[in-house]
Amino acid sequence: MDVDGEDVSRRLHVKFVTKLDSPFKVPVNSVAIPSNVTRLGLSSIVNSIIQSDNPEWKTEPFDFLIDGELIRMSLEEFLLAKGISAERTLEIEYIRAVTPRKEEEPSLHNDWVSAVNGSSPRFILTGCYDGLGRVWSSAGSCSHILEGHSGAISSVAVVNSKDAETVTVATASKDRTLRLFKFDADESVDSSTRVTAYKILRGHKASVQSVSAQKSGDMVCSSSWDCTINLWNTNQSTSEGESVPVKKRKGNNQADESQSEGEAVTTLVGHTQCVSSVVWPEHDVIYSASWDHSVRRWDVETGKDSLNLFCGKALNTVDVGGEGSALIAAGGSDPILRVWDPRKPGTSAPIFQFSSHSSWISACKWHRSSWYHLLSASYDGKIMLWDLRTAWPLSIIETHNDKVLSADWWKGENVISGGADSNLRISSGIAIS
Amino acid sequence: MTKKSKGGKEDKKAIETKSKSVSGKSQKQKKPVEKEVEKEVKEEEELIQESGTDSDYDGDSLSGSLNSDDFNSDIFESEDDVTQGGTEEEDGGDGESSQDELLVHEGSIDNEDGDDGSEQIDSDNNEEEDGSDEGSDRDEAVEESDSSEDEVAPRNTVGDVPLKWYEDEKHIGYDITGKKITKKERQDKLDSFLASMDDSKNWRKIIDDYNDEEVELTKEESKMVRRLLKGKAPHADFDPYADYVDWFKWTDAIHPLSSAPEPKRRFIPSIWEAKKVVKLVRGIRMGLIKVAKPEEEPEEGPVPYLLWEPASTSDQKNKNLTYIPPPKLKLPGHEESYNPSLEYIPTEEEKASYELMFEEDRPKLIPTRFTSLRSIPAYGNALKESFERCLDLYLCPRIRKKRINIDPESLKPKLPSRKDLRPYPNSCYLEYKGHTGAVTSISTDSSGQWIASGSTDGSVRIWEVETGRCLKVWQFDEAIKFVAWNPLSSLPVLAIAMGRDLFFLNTELGNDEEQEVIKEMFHSGNIPEPEASVAAIVTWLQDELYGGIKIRHFKNISSIDWHRKGDYLSTVMASGETRGVVLHQLSKKKTQRLPFKIRGLPVCTLFHPSLSYIFVATRKDVRVYNLLKTGLATKKLETGMREISSMAIHPGGDNLIVGSKEGKMCWFDMDLSSKPYKTLKNHPKDITNVAVHRSYPLFASCSEDSTAYVFHGKVYNDLNQNPLIVPLEILRGHSIKGGVLDCKFHPRQPWLFTAGADSIIKLYCH
Repeated sequence: MDVDGEDVSRRLHVKFVTKLDSPFKVPVNSVAIPSNVTRLGLSSIVNSIIQSDNPEWKTEPFDFLIDGELIRMSLEEFLLAKGISAERTLEIEYIRAVTPRKEEEPSLHNDWVSAVNGSSPRFILTGCYDGLGRVWSSAGSCSHILEGHSGAISSVAVVNSKDAETVTVATASKDRTLRLFKFDADESVDSSTRVTAYKILRGHKASVQSVSAQKSGDMVCSSSWDCTINLWNTNQSTSEGESVPVKKRKGNNQADESQSEGEAVTTLVGHTQCVSSVVWPEHDVIYSASWDHSVRRWDVETGKDSLNLFCGKALNTVDVGGEGSALIAAGGSDPILRVWDPRKPGTSAPIFQFSSHSSWISACKWHRSSWYHLLSASYDGKIMLWDLRTAWPLSIIETHNDKVLSADWWKGENVISGGADSNLRISSGIAIS
Repeated sequence: MTKKSKGGKEDKKAIETKSKSVSGKSQKQKKPVEKEVEKEVKEEEELIQESGTDSDYDGDSLSGSLNSDDFNSDIFESEDDVTQGGTEEEDGGDGESSQDELLVHEGSIDNEDGDDGSEQIDSDNNEEEDGSDEGSDRDEAVEESDSSEDEVAPRNTVGDVPLKWYEDEKHIGYDITGKKITKKERQDKLDSFLASMDDSKNWRKIIDDYNDEEVELTKEESKMVRRLLKGKAPHADFDPYADYVDWFKWTDAIHPLSSAPEPKRRFIPSIWEAKKVVKLVRGIRMGLIKVAKPEEEPEEGPVPYLLWEPASTSDQKNKNLTYIPPPKLKLPGHEESYNPSLEYIPTEEEKASYELMFEEDRPKLIPTRFTSLRSIPAYGNALKESFERCLDLYLCPRIRKKRINIDPESLKPKLPSRKDLRPYPNSCYLEYKGHTGAVTSISTDSSGQWIASGSTDGSVRIWEVETGRCLKVWQFDEAIKFVAWNPLSSLPVLAIAMGRDLFFLNTELGNDEEQEVIKEMFHSGNIPEPEASVAAIVTWLQDELYGGIKIRHFKNISSIDWHRKGDYLSTVMASGETRGVVLHQLSKKKTQRLPFKIRGLPVCTLFHPSLSYIFVATRKDVRVYNLLKTGLATKKLETGMREISSMAIHPGGDNLIVGSKEGKMCWFDMDLSSKPYKTLKNHPKDITNVAVHRSYPLFASCSEDSTAYVFHGKVYNDLNQNPLIVPLEILRGHSIKGGVLDCKFHPRQPWLFTAGADSIIKLYCH
């Protein structure tokens, strides 16, 4: 039987190539392998080849690409499905598998972690349902607590992190306000410092759902249940007309004299329902997703929406990235993560639909450097890493035991997430070349 | 002259045509003609022919001849005339004279051939009319006997041959004895002209070419001809309009009309038929007549048929309506062998499993092995099976049951596909957990961001719809009956009913200004004195526990409903009878009774979404009252249900949905009728609540059978088009016990919230 089986399984001549650096490189020789191997088999072959050169090599999972598509079935089936001839020598590119290799200690919060932000490599910013924003320099070490909100924080954004000494962050809350905080990120982390907002942005008539900062850090935009997107200035000075000096409001800001209040510079009106998510990827372009089933692109200069993608489902989250930072990924009240290419003329149908989740999608984020990778978090407690080159998730992170409310990339190779189990979890060691 | 040309033909034929032609002349006049008159006609006609206008006339007579039958008498008449006419001759008159001769000749032949019966009758006639000369002459002719021929002595016997043949001869033919009849000398033209000048009677003379003699018409004959020409009856005495003489005796005759004995010919075989048969037989024998051979009859005996023909295709069997094809038997296989191979033998476990099966499902035959045919025992079920077979035959119906063969699918109404009616809630993604008792009531705020729920554990909770987070909890001592969010977005106040109390709670969700308004409203302290009419029903109190307002009623509250403007709230006390419905005004902290009498026990009330109407559901009916007018109900909707449990109104205000405790749901189109437009019987158990979506064409019902049904309910602006109702989805998921107690649509999304007795609230999304 074994002899028969060997006869049946054809042998393919393959050449392993990679763009990885020296320890991962294998000699560019043609190797004959059985055609029924899967990703795991290919990975073990490559590992054994490397190990033969380098005895100290530790086994490393790899992912394999043929003609820019990830192999997710046996090699034979893949070739058959794609109609690739098995006669010639195949060139298989391998990359390090995108999967977390290490799980950091969870950072416990007092309440649900509703927002995480990892746009600054120096710290993680989280927002919590207890109304406090937290700054984590690493897993388990909270350096700052941002206080002041009377309602749950729904979204956090890092406004300006280039400045070495002080970092500006914005938090949006269900108490209808946004707050801007400044703190020194490199402070000692023995005990968490409490920080109060230097500026309170009032103007929304209902819960603020999302906040996003302009690249330059001069402005932030926020979206709310009152169907509007507001644009705010972040500077502390009150010289400009729209920034109103402190009104002594009894009740909330008696304590801090230095607090100022800001009013919205512009309001973008157009959505008919709660604007659940907003991103500001370019200088004058804002993308927003709403429960009115649409994704819109706003021109900041004119205040008009220049693109309107209709989805059919209430949307919770949107992000822009991928190839040329032009693809729009959005998820919402169904388990499907959709990706649109607005550059594609004449159609508003999503170019990709990833449907491995089993509940609402609460967050999706593009990897900041890769064209292909994005993550999605869902109420089913899973975070999935996606590659546009395959319809299956690259890996599923199931560390949360309740709804995942927010997730983000951090430092390029970590996934940070917060959920209804009140934990901030960091999955590290994700190799994205 | 044409007649003359026919003269050469066969005798019989010639006779027929002749007789016809003569009678045709008479018939052409369209009058019954007596024989004498006819004679006159004949003569006159001939006269006319002679005078030059003959040819046309003659042709006509010929054409008319086809209809007549037997006026042979006329022929003889004319013949007589000819003889009478003497020997006058004319040169040009050859044709005419010969014609008459022909007639005579034919008539004689006819007589020869004529049948015996008619002869007798004719002779009778002859005797009767034997009076006048002419009459006798004619009668002789009519007699058609051989004797008539004898009377006319010199007679040409050439027959019906063209007279042209004898033109150059000296004779015109032969007489009966075979002697030549010599031509008479003709007068020359001049002589004849002179003669005609001299003789005034000359115009009546006709030359008979056939017999070569001149015939003179009598006066009577010429008169008759004239009359015929005028289209009158030929005989002057004939009265065409004579009174009708009814010869028939209308009194019942006992005896047959004639006592004459049956003639013999009725009993003897017809000679003519026999002759004809002989002729045919001869023809057949000689091979002139071909006879088709008779088909060979199939041999008697069993008809072969296809033994393995499928029963359904055999036409023979299908024709017979009572034939019921027997069920096809399975062909015997190896397992039925007395010694089947081992793989057919069931194992012990299999046999044991057969025992557990139902009687019907058990295999009929369990293969068993026997070493030889001898060892096979008697069939154990033989007696039982034959008895059952007898029972079958005895009890089986002998008539064929006629089943209506209709595809049940075709009876279903054609409904649009569910796919086309998207979006509608179909899958549950979010659950709101936290209550410890059955969730009795839920309510969404106007924006759809929050949902409030009340439970039998005494807690009221507010949840964030988006995440399922419980935002606020109020704990009370009593089980919550009803929660209702104020429809105004600027007044986030929750009305809660439990027991006899109604609470207004501040949800603290609005912005600061709104909060101030609410606080002012709740804590202003001065509750005005209630009016005397309602003092016994309600008491307004300040709630100490949560800083709201409490209204104590005199009976348990069963249902509450906010008016769309958010200021008025109606409370229903099921056991309050006529005082069972009151209206509270939140801003003035006032209560008033409805300005009309409620008949029956109220179940729930509902404000019209746009007009000042209120729907009051009693146990069986729904009445619509105008709030601005006191008095009777403007409309009464008869549900036909035993007990109404809930109501919901379409946002258009013209369509009402009523759920009942027997699992039925009625859709009322109030423009259409006071009877339900559609009654939907879906739930096997009580419907606990019904809901209509504010913007999407959706409605839903939830029931104690722990399901919720979602329907598409489209109302058209066109009054002619009835609402379209399509069942869309059955939402299951709640535990069986207790069922679903409330369902509410999300105000802006096509989502449905269901509150279960299993203390969970579920959100079904599209």
